Amino acid sequence: MNNVFAQFRKQYPAYAKTKINVVWIPWANRTTDWQKALASGKNPPDITELGNTDTPTEASLGMLANIADNVNAWSSKSDLVGGMLANDTQGSSIYAVPWFGGVRGIWYRKNQFQAAGISSPPASWAQLVTDAKKLMKKYPGSYGLGAPSNYDYALGSFIWGAGGQIAVQQGGKWVGKLTTPQAEAGIKFYVDLTKTEHVSPTKYIGQTELGNPGATSGGSNEDFALGRLGMYIDGPWAQAEFPANAVDKSGWASFPVPSESGPNPAPAFAGGSDLGIFATSKYKTADWDLIKLMDSETNSTSFANLQGFFPPYTSKLTGGAYSSSQLMSGFAKAAANTEISPFNAKNWTVVDTTDQILPTMTKALEQGANFDATVSKANTEMTNVLNTGKES
Amino acid sequence: MVDTVGNRAAGAATGQRRATGRIRPGRAPGPGAAGAFIRRHRLAPYLLVLPALAAIALALIWPTLQIGLYSMQNFGEAQIVGTLPAKWVGFSNFTTTLSDPEFWLSLRITVIFAAVLVSLTMIVGTLVGLLLNRLGRRMAAFVSGAALCAWATPYVSASVIFVWFFSPDGGIVNWALQGLPHWLGGGPQWAQYNWETVGALPAYTVATVLVVWQSFPFIAVTVLAGLKSIPVELYESARVDGAGPWQSFRRITYPMLKPIFLILVLLSVIWDFNVFTQTYVITGALGNRDEYNLALYSYSQAFQLPPAVGLGSAIALILTVILLIITIGYVRANIKQGMVA
Repeated sequence: MNNVFAQFRKQYPAYAKTKINVVWIPWANRTTDWQKALASGKNPPDITELGNTDTPTEASLGMLANIADNVNAWSSKSDLVGGMLANDTQGSSIYAVPWFGGVRGIWYRKNQFQAAGISSPPASWAQLVTDAKKLMKKYPGSYGLGAPSNYDYALGSFIWGAGGQIAVQQGGKWVGKLTTPQAEAGIKFYVDLTKTEHVSPTKYIGQTELGNPGATSGGSNEDFALGRLGMYIDGPWAQAEFPANAVDKSGWASFPVPSESGPNPAPAFAGGSDLGIFATSKYKTADWDLIKLMDSETNSTSFANLQGFFPPYTSKLTGGAYSSSQLMSGFAKAAANTEISPFNAKNWTVVDTTDQILPTMTKALEQGANFDATVSKANTEMTNVLNTGKES
Repeated sequence: MVDTVGNRAAGAATGQRRATGRIRPGRAPGPGAAGAFIRRHRLAPYLLVLPALAAIALALIWPTLQIGLYSMQNFGEAQIVGTLPAKWVGFSNFTTTLSDPEFWLSLRITVIFAAVLVSLTMIVGTLVGLLLNRLGRRMAAFVSGAALCAWATPYVSASVIFVWFFSPDGGIVNWALQGLPHWLGGGPQWAQYNWETVGALPAYTVATVLVVWQSFPFIAVTVLAGLKSIPVELYESARVDGAGPWQSFRRITYPMLKPIFLILVLLSVIWDFNVFTQTYVITGALGNRDEYNLALYSYSQAFQLPPAVGLGSAIALILTVILLIITIGYVRANIKQGMVA
């Protein structure tokens, strides 16, 4: 970041004396921190990084400035990944620009696969389960594939991979699609990984991929790093969360989540971060100049590579720079096929953070609740919340 | 008459009494006209209470009024920051809450949790209080010191340590349970058992152990203080009459300590309905909705994105009303029995 600030001052001599204060906050607290900082009125923040799923909600709450004029005049605009910019656009207003993106795939160790007799990464669900069991047989006491119940994005890949959808917009209203046969097939497969196939341990029930909700490390993330888990669903940024005593680093590799009867590889959730300007900022011109620099092709690529993410520029993604890396090639393949809806719906934060409809459903199913009744109830609740912000 | 003039003429500093040997009740000191005003309307007690009342009004009454106000409005993030004005919505926050199945689930969990906690805390606390009454000085100091350490431990630290105890990866409790023989309920099914996230019952078992451990010292110390006030002769005469320990507790200790037990149970009920810190840390920071109690539910509605302070205020008011009903009912029942002086 300091490098970017030095560039900023050189490129715009008018800002040579401007002080830029960067505050790093824990990701899980970002929304409450924004509220508090803006409500305090004292030296509120001007620019912020947002999760790309936060942008539609924050924009609809009136927190972000409309930067459509700035973006349309920007030279880099044409190279931005279309879907990422579309996420930040509402009608003719643009509320943020994409900074970097990430997709999830499945981490594994090449040497472990070879030792267990698996010649190539699985390309179907049945192979995924068989390979997980082979790993568990070769390394007794370990688990095959981590499938925590509080993990919408992993569940999404299996629903989409079966050709189903979570929810779609029809005529301006949201309709939940969890009860379609394809979506139910995806949900059933994910739940069965724990319930009937036993390739995922019961201790992950109620956990996220990082352990108990609210933890920043642990759970399946830690188990994979320490060699106790054979296959782990997450993105390349998970590396930053591995404990210091991770084993077998040279064997790390990835492959995209396989699909069943849907598009191949299974669509992965297009996560990532945007840069936005707060509506209350008093220095919007300076803010935009800084964002242009932070998000330039060079700077955003180097920042993304540092963390294990992808830059938001089509030329970089299709250029093949990532296909030669053992670790990144699987993720790059997954990045070719992404989905974001309905996670960027205006009311999705109520569905997910406040009401936790999908994690509660998955948890109940993994503990043996009636399949059709639970899925149907979750579907109705989700549809109501997406449309009205309330559960009923 | 003469004395009045004499007092004023003395021009004494505030609060000085004449050394006449006569005490004049109801005479608040005060110079000049203000003093006469205060004396005439007997305002002195109220003036003395005023500073404390002002502090309480600022810290408690004003926020309560604000919560009442917010519960009737839709107060979200935009209203907090000031980009949109608040809208009056009447009772719709309350109806939303009462029709939310998650509210009833968390209410059920809260009531059961509080019932178990209050009973266990009172039993353990009373037993320890009785023990402390019997011990010699040094042993009593040791036991009460250890108990007070449990009470003094910060809630968050204690909760995190308990989470480690019960952790599925290398927690000491699972390790011990695995080693227990089969007929005691032990065995390999305890390996990697995730107490915190699997369900409400295991998570609240952990929370119960933790909260009882942290709450019983207060009960013990208060009961001990009450016990010291019971004359020893009562117990001696009971022993002469052939009463065993349980009978002397039932016939002597319990009736004499009834007022203290009343207060302790009231306080325990109020505290245990509101347990937040321990349940937040143990159930995984709002990540498991089927394990919420009312405090967690209220917090999740009010402060998680998108924040709905109006809804959270409505839930807080409902919780207050529930507690008022319980405490009023309990106090009235005890007064009717003539047990409270």
